[in-house]
Amino acid sequence: MKPTDRDGAVRRLLGPAEQELSCDECFEHLDRYVELELAGTDADAHVPGLRAHLAGCPACREEHDSLLALVTTDQPKP
Amino acid sequence: MTELGTASVRLVGQPLQAAVLPETGRLDPESRVWLHGLRGRDEDTIARLHALLLRAARFEVARRKPLLPHVRGGDLDDLAEQAADDALVSVLRRLDDFRGASRFTTWAYKFALYEAAVKLRKRAWQGREVPLEPEGWSLLSSAELAPEAEAEQTELMTALQSTVENVLTPHQRRVLVALAVNGVPIDVLAERLGTNRGALYKTLHDARRKLRRELTAQGFELPEER
Repeated sequence: MKPTDRDGAVRRLLGPAEQELSCDECFEHLDRYVELELAGTDADAHVPGLRAHLAGCPACREEHDSLLALVTTDQPKP
Repeated sequence: MTELGTASVRLVGQPLQAAVLPETGRLDPESRVWLHGLRGRDEDTIARLHALLLRAARFEVARRKPLLPHVRGGDLDDLAEQAADDALVSVLRRLDDFRGASRFTTWAYKFALYEAAVKLRKRAWQGREVPLEPEGWSLLSSAELAPEAEAEQTELMTALQSTVENVLTPHQRRVLVALAVNGVPIDVLAERLGTNRGALYKTLHDARRKLRRELTAQGFELPEER
């Protein structure tokens, strides 16, 4: 195992160091968080704990990434 | 949606606090139209919502399709339809939860994406054994002939493995190993253990906190996410 692989393994085992939202709370605030991100606003400041949760929960991270990508397709082209 | 209920604002493992202040009462005109039609159970509005949810579910299926080469296209179409149907039920049931913190369509999308993602994860693991034992430990501890720069990390890995085996409860160990070592999707593990994502994540979170506390007490500097 390469050191970088082990870095990832350690992070997956230990999870985020900061306080984080639960999966339910992440789902509840995900739509607002994504729109704040797309607006270029500091989403982490508005929804504390959500970014940390995404770092620790691969399932919620995937759903966040999908919502961000989907809503992006709805944005008017510049 | 059956697993994700209305949540209070609370960080995992922390007492209730006003950590998040959702914005309310500022509906954009389009969202207002959606709500009006859906609250009145207008058939055209419901049909438009279903079409929106189906588009989202198909979007999710398309993103994950490369990871499911063994699943027939027709099965994936059915899965997207089912996800849209289930999402429609959830959205209609939870209309009162929509406070206008985002556009209505963004709020609705997340239900379809969630339903599709969960179904796709379960489909990918259908018929597969879910490993609950630490078969991945050999990977974690397979120290190469490490240069000096790796020595500290190898020491951390050894301490980590020992802490997992000796400090966590058997349930915490099984959940941590399945999710964080063996890469079992949380929805798949939840289904096999007869629980839900939220409960499993709480177990994972508590196990991780225990590990961090124990390793910090042993003098290790642990990685931060930022």
